[in-house]
Amino acid sequence: MARGEKTDVSRRDVVKIAGASGLAGLAGVAGSASAQENPPIGNFPIQGNPTFGFTVPQSGPYSSEGQDELRAYRLAVEHLNNGGGWVDNWSDLTGNGVLDQQIEFVSGDTATDADTARQTARRMIQRDQAIMLSGGSSSAVAIAIQELCQREKVNYMCCLTHSNDTTGKSCVRYSFREMFNAYMSAQALVPPVTDEYGGDNNFYQLYADYTWGQTVQSSMSRFFGEAGWNEMQSVATPLGTKDFSSYLSQVPRDQTDVLFLDHYGLDGANSLSQAKEMGLDQDMEIVVPLYNRPMAQAAGGAIEGVFGTVAWDSQIDNAPSNQFTQAFNEKYARIPSGPAQLAYAQTLQYAAAVERAGTFYPPEVIRQLEGYQYDNIGMGPETMRACDHQAQRAVPVVKGLPEGEQQQGQFFEIVNLTERDTLGYGCDSGPAAECDLGPYE
Amino acid sequence: MSVLAEVLTVLLNGLQQGAIYVLVAIGLSIILGTLKFVNFAHGALYLIGTYAGLLITLEINVTDGKLADWGYTPIGLEWGFLPALIIVPVVVFGVGLLMERFVARPFYDRPDTDQILLTFGLAIVIQEVFKILFGGQSYNFARPGWASGQVGLPIIGTFPEWRLYIIAITATVVVLVYGLIEYTDFGLVVRAGTRDAEMVELLGIKLSRPYLMVFGVGAALAGVAGVVGGPLYAVNPNIGTEILVPSFLVVVIGGVGSIAGAVLGGILIGETLAIMVAIAPQWSQVGIYVLAAIVLLARPQGLLGSEEVAP
Repeated sequence: MARGEKTDVSRRDVVKIAGASGLAGLAGVAGSASAQENPPIGNFPIQGNPTFGFTVPQSGPYSSEGQDELRAYRLAVEHLNNGGGWVDNWSDLTGNGVLDQQIEFVSGDTATDADTARQTARRMIQRDQAIMLSGGSSSAVAIAIQELCQREKVNYMCCLTHSNDTTGKSCVRYSFREMFNAYMSAQALVPPVTDEYGGDNNFYQLYADYTWGQTVQSSMSRFFGEAGWNEMQSVATPLGTKDFSSYLSQVPRDQTDVLFLDHYGLDGANSLSQAKEMGLDQDMEIVVPLYNRPMAQAAGGAIEGVFGTVAWDSQIDNAPSNQFTQAFNEKYARIPSGPAQLAYAQTLQYAAAVERAGTFYPPEVIRQLEGYQYDNIGMGPETMRACDHQAQRAVPVVKGLPEGEQQQGQFFEIVNLTERDTLGYGCDSGPAAECDLGPYE
Repeated sequence: MSVLAEVLTVLLNGLQQGAIYVLVAIGLSIILGTLKFVNFAHGALYLIGTYAGLLITLEINVTDGKLADWGYTPIGLEWGFLPALIIVPVVVFGVGLLMERFVARPFYDRPDTDQILLTFGLAIVIQEVFKILFGGQSYNFARPGWASGQVGLPIIGTFPEWRLYIIAITATVVVLVYGLIEYTDFGLVVRAGTRDAEMVELLGIKLSRPYLMVFGVGAALAGVAGVVGGPLYAVNPNIGTEILVPSFLVVVIGGVGSIAGAVLGGILIGETLAIMVAIAPQWSQVGIYVLAAIVLLARPQGLLGSEEVAP
C-alpha cells in the first residue's frame, strides 16, 4: 500500500513537471518565462484554461444574496474575457482573458454552512482544479474556506465577510478581504450616531452567537464605550433564531437609550421587525451595525430611520460605481447590491494582480496584491494592506428609508461615506495585532 | 420592571409562541392519529398558506425567480387580512384533498418509512417550486393595519397587538375543531375509525370519505397557521421546513391524535422556549428537545395520548 502510494505520488509529480515544462515551452513561445521559474504549487501550473471557483450560498436564507453575487461573478468573467465594465478602464486588464487565456468558472453552494462550504471548496480545488476561489456570505464560511485555501495553496478572494477575525486572528496569507470589518463599522458609526443621539447614552446589545456577531458586539462595546456611552448588557442569541420577542422583552425600556441589533440577514430582518412590532422604537433608538439589501427588503418599513453600514450602495456617486451599476443593470435589468459589487471587484482585483505578476503562480500573485494601492472600485483611494490583507477603505454609513420612499434596489439614504483616514488601526493594534499570515509557499 | 411583570411577560410570550405551534400541530396530530399517516409535507402546507396569505393580503414586489423573469413583478390582490383568513384555509383544504387522494391514500398500508420518504420529498419539491417562482429572497408580510400596534396590559405593560390576536385566533380554531371532532357525527366516525377502522367498515360506514375530510381539515389548519404566523417572521421558502420539527415535537409531547394534547404540547414548548431565553438563552433550543426526551421516557404515548392511538 505504502509502495503504491509512493509510486502514485511520484507519477503525479512527473506529470506535473511534464505539464509545467510543456506550459513553459508554450509560454516561451508566447514570450514569457515565468512558469519556468516557478515550481508547481497548489493548482499551479494550470492545465487547460484557468478556472475560478465561486462559492456562494445558493440555498438557505442567504440565497438571494448569493444569487446577486453569482450574477456579479458571471459579469466579471464575461468582462475579463470579452471586455466591458471596469475592465476597459483598468490599465492591468486587457479584456482578452487573463494572461491571454480565457477564464472559465465553476460555482457551488455553501448553504451558508461552514462544513458544506468546505466540501464545495475542496471539490473545486481537487476536481475542477480552480486556481482562485471567491465567495460569501457568512464569516464562519469565509474563515473555513480561507483555512482550506491556505493549506491547498489556492488564492482566496473573500467576498462578504465582516468578522474581525477574517483578517485578524484567523487571517491567512492566501486570502484577501476588500470588505471592511466590524471594527471599522463601529468606528464609522460612532460620529453620526453620537451626533444624532448624544454622547451619554445607555446601550443594550443583542448579538448573533458566532464569530461575526461576537466581534460586532465587542467592537460596538469598545468604540461606543470610548465615546462615553454606557453598556448595560449584551445578550447572545443563537444563529438562526426566528422569534426574538422573548429576548426583546428583556430589554429594560425605561433605562435603555439605544438598542444594537447585531444580527444579519434573515435574523436581522426578524429582530428589527419584531423590535418595532413591540414598540421598542418608541422608547429607544435602534442601530443595526451591518445592513444588506435583502435584509432591508424583508424588514420593510421597520428599517425607517435606523442607522447601519453597508458594503457598498448604488447611490455612491462616482465614475467606477456608476459604471458598475450601469453594466450590471444592462445585463440583468436590476440594480446591483453591495455584495455584488464586492464579488465583481474582488474577481477583477485578482485578475489584475495576475496580469501584473505575469503569472498565475500564487505566491507571486499574493505579492502583487500586498500593499497595492488603487482607486478604481468606487470606494475612493484604497490600500490592500500587506500585514493583514485587509483593504483600508471608506465605509458607507446609511439610514433606512421610510417604506413609502423605498424603491426597487434602494432602501437607504447615505449619511456619510466615512473616509478611510478616519478609520482603521495599525498593523500592531486591533485585530491586525493577532494576525499571523503564514507562509507564501 | 417588577419580578411579577417579568414573569408574566415571559409566560405570555411563551403562550403566543406556543399558539402557532398548536395551530400547525393539531392538523399534524389528527392526520397522524386518524389516518396513521406521517405527513412530513405538513410544513409545506404551512408554506402554501403563508404565500397564499401574502398574495391575498398584500401586493408584493418580486425581484427574483421565474415570476420576475416573466414580468410579473408586483403581484397580490391587496384584499386585506380577513379575506385571507377565510380564503386561504379553503384553498389549502383543497390542496389537502388532492394530497390525500393522490399522495396519501396509496401509501396508507405502507410502512412509516415509505410515508416519511414520500412526504419529505414532496415537501422539498413544493419548497423548490416556490423558490423557482418567487426566488429565494425573504418577503415582509406586514401585520394587518388594525392590529399593528401595541396594547397596554395590566402589570405587563405594552404587548404587540397581533400576538394577542394569534392567541385569540388559535383559541377559536381549537374550540371549533374540538367541537367538530367531539360533537358531530363526522367526529364520531373519525374517532371510531381511529380506534378500530375494521369494525367501522364492518358496520357499513365507508371510511374513505371521512379520511379525506380529516386530511382536508388538517391541511386547512396548517393554512390558517400560515396566514396567522406569516407576519411574525420574514417569509421565505424555508419556513415550512423550519416549523415542521417543533410541530412534531408538540405532537410527540402532547400525544398523537389528541387535540387537547396538541394544545398542551404547544404551550409547553412555547413556555420552555420563552423561559429558557430568560434564564439561559444559548440553551433555549436544546431545552425543547430535553423536554421531549423527558416526556417520551416517562410517558411514551405523550402526555394526553392514549396507548391504542399511538402508532
